[in-house]
Amino acid sequence: MPTYTDMTRCDGCGECVDICPSDIMHIDPVYRRSYNIEPNFCWECYSCVKACPQNAIDVRGYADFAPLGHKVRVLREPEKGVISWKIRYRDGRLKEFAFPIRTTPWGSIKPPQDYEKPDLSAIGSQMLAHEPEALHIDALPTINKTKA
Amino acid sequence: MFTNNPFTALTDFWPPLVMQVYIVLMTLAVVGGTLLDVYHKGSAKFFARRKAQSDAAATRQVSAGETASLAMKTIAEAAVSGEFCKWPRRLSHLLMMYGFFIYITTTVVMVFAYPGTAHVPAILPALWTIGASMILVGGLWFFFFLRVNVAYDGDSAFHLGRADLFVGSLIASVAFALAWDYVQTTYANPTATWILFGLYIFFTTLLFGAVRWSKFAHMFFKPAVAYQRRVEEANGSSDLPRPSTENYIVRS
Repeated sequence: MPTYTDMTRCDGCGECVDICPSDIMHIDPVYRRSYNIEPNFCWECYSCVKACPQNAIDVRGYADFAPLGHKVRVLREPEKGVISWKIRYRDGRLKEFAFPIRTTPWGSIKPPQDYEKPDLSAIGSQMLAHEPEALHIDALPTINKTKA
Repeated sequence: MFTNNPFTALTDFWPPLVMQVYIVLMTLAVVGGTLLDVYHKGSAKFFARRKAQSDAAATRQVSAGETASLAMKTIAEAAVSGEFCKWPRRLSHLLMMYGFFIYITTTVVMVFAYPGTAHVPAILPALWTIGASMILVGGLWFFFFLRVNVAYDGDSAFHLGRADLFVGSLIASVAFALAWDYVQTTYANPTATWILFGLYIFFTTLLFGAVRWSKFAHMFFKPAVAYQRRVEEANGSSDLPRPSTENYIVRS
């Protein structure tokens, strides 16, 4: 059940075009708003739905959780680390779900190249690179063999 | 260039009424084009259906005072192009929007209030030039760097399509207006002046005459949609989930 863009909400920012792994979100040549050029090739990854800053992209959920005729809308709040979903069923019932997605601020994860290059001697260590500091702990837990 | 009424020289060849009639015709073209666009897209039906759906799904009534407040908030948002999520697009749109208002207003005032006189209040031609320059800067920035099909969809910066009819004719119109004004005040070359004036009128007519096919009317539709969205959020009929009351960010 592929995505489609509500053109009255879309402001043509291009985020969905950028993120679509199937490269099927493109820009309409007449209205310069995004649209799904090939719904058959949409694998319903929901990336564009969640990335859209205008909440302009809707997706029909699978029939096993929402029979046809419903609407599924999403609200991403990166500043709160949460994504919320709302399903409006065809008989008018509403269901809302909120999912925590992370516990650190958006954009705060350090990319690998920002870490100091490990020393060659680290290759003999049991630790992975930058452990344990990168895990925000003092030391990895170990098994106390005397108690085991 | 910055102090003379650029439309005065035209009155040597035809009466001021000609330009006045032209402006009235362009105004009628915008109104007619917008109505045709509304009819073609079914926008009136769309808004009526959306309002009926919103009323049916409403969980609370929105008072008249609240409705007025929502309308004011919508106007305030449109005044600063607050709907855009990226500042370069927002800034370029603001330059074009306010430049367009200044340019159109000063054009109308100079043509209707000061027909046939070169000595207008100095602020008018200065604002006319500033308004046109704002459109040119915002428009060229948008056209070459910010158009989403260019920035994200792999089109060349020189790609032209139907979506460019509005911004392209707007840029060309003000560019030739400025060039015509500059040439007529700096060089005594009637041929160049008339060629530039002809191009200015051609692109201006294209801008206002092609509303039915261009994106011109989006400046009317967007605030209407934004207002409808605010009403839906206020009366509880919005399809969007409610904002989360919990913050899950616990570590920096």
